Amino acid sequence: MPADSIQIDSTVKIVTPENIAFRYQLAGPFRRFPAYLIDVAILLTAYVILWCVLMMVLSAALQGAGAAIGAGVGMVIWFLSTWLYGGVFETFMNGQTPGKRIMGIRVLTVNGQPINGLQAIMRNVFRFADTFPLISIQFFAELFPADAADMPPMFFIPTFLVGLFTMTLSKRFQRLGDLVCGTIVVIEERNWLAGIAKLDDPRAPQLASFLPGDFVVPQSMGRALATYVDRRRFFSLARRREVARHLGEPLIELFKLPSDTSHDLLLCALYYRTFVTDRLEEDSPRPVPPPVSNPYDPDKNGTVAGVNYASPLGRG
Amino acid sequence: MKVAELLEKRRQNWQELERLCEQLQNRRKKNIPAAELSRFASLYRAACADLALADSYQLPSNTIEYLHRLVGRAHNQLYRSRSFDFASWTETLFVHVPQRIFRDACVHVAFFVFWLVFILSAVFAYANSSFPGYAEFLLDDATTTQLETNFADPLNGRDPAADFTMACFYIKHNTGIGLKCFVACIGVVPGLFTLLFNAAHLGACFGYMARPDVEAGRNFFQFVTAHGPFELTAIVLSAGAGLRIGMGWIKTNGLTRLDSLRKTAKETLPVMGAACAMFFFAALIEGFVSPSAAPYWFKASVAVLTSGLLMFYFVVLGFPRGAREL
Repeated sequence: MPADSIQIDSTVKIVTPENIAFRYQLAGPFRRFPAYLIDVAILLTAYVILWCVLMMVLSAALQGAGAAIGAGVGMVIWFLSTWLYGGVFETFMNGQTPGKRIMGIRVLTVNGQPINGLQAIMRNVFRFADTFPLISIQFFAELFPADAADMPPMFFIPTFLVGLFTMTLSKRFQRLGDLVCGTIVVIEERNWLAGIAKLDDPRAPQLASFLPGDFVVPQSMGRALATYVDRRRFFSLARRREVARHLGEPLIELFKLPSDTSHDLLLCALYYRTFVTDRLEEDSPRPVPPPVSNPYDPDKNGTVAGVNYASPLGRG
Repeated sequence: MKVAELLEKRRQNWQELERLCEQLQNRRKKNIPAAELSRFASLYRAACADLALADSYQLPSNTIEYLHRLVGRAHNQLYRSRSFDFASWTETLFVHVPQRIFRDACVHVAFFVFWLVFILSAVFAYANSSFPGYAEFLLDDATTTQLETNFADPLNGRDPAADFTMACFYIKHNTGIGLKCFVACIGVVPGLFTLLFNAAHLGACFGYMARPDVEAGRNFFQFVTAHGPFELTAIVLSAGAGLRIGMGWIKTNGLTRLDSLRKTAKETLPVMGAACAMFFFAALIEGFVSPSAAPYWFKASVAVLTSGLLMFYFVVLGFPRGAREL
């Protein structure tokens, strides 16, 4: 991978103690906000359940005084949970809250290290600054003029504009709380090991055996080949031709192949030789005569991914 | 060796590493046998090496992408978040924080601004003949009426359960306000505004209630005496700590603004912790002592005692010691 000094993607590069550099993908607001909403929903649900249980148990046990004590305990729990929920979870769940785990994101320090308890608490306390500016219910006065007009202005509806604004200014999608404690949020998902692209076309290995044996694919070309063969199954035939032409034409000249060789097939063959094997498997079926068909036939193109219906060495 | 063979060889290792990551995430660490943990470490190192050599192996880009994710996941399981260092909290709270507060110019500013404005406002509100209309201008009718009705009856105690509820309410409400004030101070202007407004408002309340013609005044002072020291100090302290953070990115002392902000935030959060503790104690006193029917000398001595404790904390513990340069 290129050692990119200028960040152009939403990725950060982390150098581990093992002296390995690897990349993380940063999580933007549209992944982090749902995580926050999930957390709020979890918090509210847990709180309502707890409140009911507390009230029932205490009222049953202590009659009249129970409700008052329950209300008190409930308020303290509400205070602690709103200010400490994120901090405690991120400390003990290794940088994740339940919402973050569902959304597959994790908090790290800017160096890619795990966060400590102080950072976790701090970035969650400072979330309040990110919710600014708070707007009052009067802001929506036009929607329901009758109710809003006679209420005192209470600024409690968060807009998260400060956080959003700071995120856009920061290279690493950091909100104010992240900036203050030096943390980032990264995407941590498993993705499937795709491995080598399957070449369903038996003619690719065939053609591979015609390529000169002493030709060594340079690294950058190898990358291009791998990317192309990975992606080609999403391309239409015409698009394949268009893309493959750029590398195919000079290669045909180089290998002195017939000029009507399919560029796409040539790239597949080169891919096969570079990444899969040098040898042509002896037991592989001999090339079948080309089906006389329309290469643009959408049905056939759709049924077998990765098969070019052009004639073996021709463009059909 | 061709990539296909290499991938075939490595695939098992990688998938085992994935499985172990999953386990480490979901199971308690103590339940995982040591052999598996060391296996995890060596698999992680192997995956790191594969990633480092990916270019010379000519791995296809989607495999490299996969490796980045895999190494990232394993890295996060290997290097885990450190939890709180409770042992060092006592030292922070009783050694570092008082000394920081004692030296901190922002706390001084907050202290003097708050008390100056508070006293001035109280005087203006009290001297109705010299400054007519000041109290009425600052405190609208609703506030004064509420103050008078709330304290119309002499304090003769509530039932204990209600005390408890109110104490909890004060913890939640006042500490929340303190924290919000602290966080809002990150932009200096809103912080100063909040501080000034609180000082003027509270001062006006005190001055208004102290007027000889306000009947409820006696009960009011009965109520506020006991918890006053803790609560007002906590307000000053949270504003001071907030101002310090706000100054962090204005006056940088040669650091970049962001580094300076980060540094001051790390230093001032324990101060805010101390302020939260004060809010907590104030709420307990406000809930249980202030509304009780205890005689005034008792409440006054509570106030004297808490003021003494605060003095001890700020001055005796906070007095700069040459040996311990922070």
